[in-house]
Amino acid sequence: MMEYQARNTGFNASGIKYMLAGGTVVAALGLLVEPQALMSKIAPAKDVCQEVIQPQAVLSRDRLSQLLTIPERSNKEQIRQVMQAPYCRLPDLEVRAGSTAKREAYPLAFDPNTWLVVMYEGEEYAGYSFSFRR
Amino acid sequence: MLDIHSVFAVSRGVAIALTLASCAPPPQPDETIRPQLYQQWQVQPGDTLNGVSVIGGLGDIGLSLNGQSVYAPFPGRAQKDPRNCLIFSTPDVPAYLFRLCGLSNLRLGPRHQGEALGTATILHVATLRKQPNGTWAIVEPSKPIIKRFLTRS
Repeated sequence: MMEYQARNTGFNASGIKYMLAGGTVVAALGLLVEPQALMSKIAPAKDVCQEVIQPQAVLSRDRLSQLLTIPERSNKEQIRQVMQAPYCRLPDLEVRAGSTAKREAYPLAFDPNTWLVVMYEGEEYAGYSFSFRR
Repeated sequence: MLDIHSVFAVSRGVAIALTLASCAPPPQPDETIRPQLYQQWQVQPGDTLNGVSVIGGLGDIGLSLNGQSVYAPFPGRAQKDPRNCLIFSTPDVPAYLFRLCGLSNLRLGPRHQGEALGTATILHVATLRKQPNGTWAIVEPSKPIIKRFLTRS
């Protein structure tokens, strides 16, 4: 429709410039949308801290990389040796029958909006996850 | 010399493509995953015995839902396995996966807590716990965790 009109009215060079500029602005606006919102595969966790343990706690890259080498189902003590006190404790869960799952959260030093969540069942380390906060 | 109309059309196309690319959702909402199970039982869901399909196995909780919806128990992600069972994972429960077989209208991709995952007549739920060797063991789920799938929280 617009192109048809343009042809008939002898669309001039300055009109083209405005159109090009408009298109560029639209494209730029598209790129401005927060990339993390588009990339994140998982909605932010809803669970909140039940008890704050160490308000200043953050997890360094070094400690994180050490944690990642510890296999699931290791003894809780192995994790304790690598990690300092967590930022907070999340509400307990019962995932497996008869076993209470305890969860502790550590904001990442290099990305405080991402928390590492560590879960224990009894004396066993169950595993970890990354939770994106708003 | 380039026709002025084609310059216009191309630039507009580029602008639209850029806008769409930057707004498009992540491209793998229906990604299929194949969690490798720890247990190697002889009879498994998906098998066929004398032409009869095995729809549930040891460790599956069978629920009669009569077309009711099943909901995301936590914020998380819904994927599917090769049998079209929904695999739900959530950062709120590290080291666990939930396998839901028998769902229709599967809702895959990122899910908010309480969002529908699908509907079912008969649903089989298995709770999978990660093992040190990377396999997933079917474990005994608690009542509260199963109930969370049945209520919109």
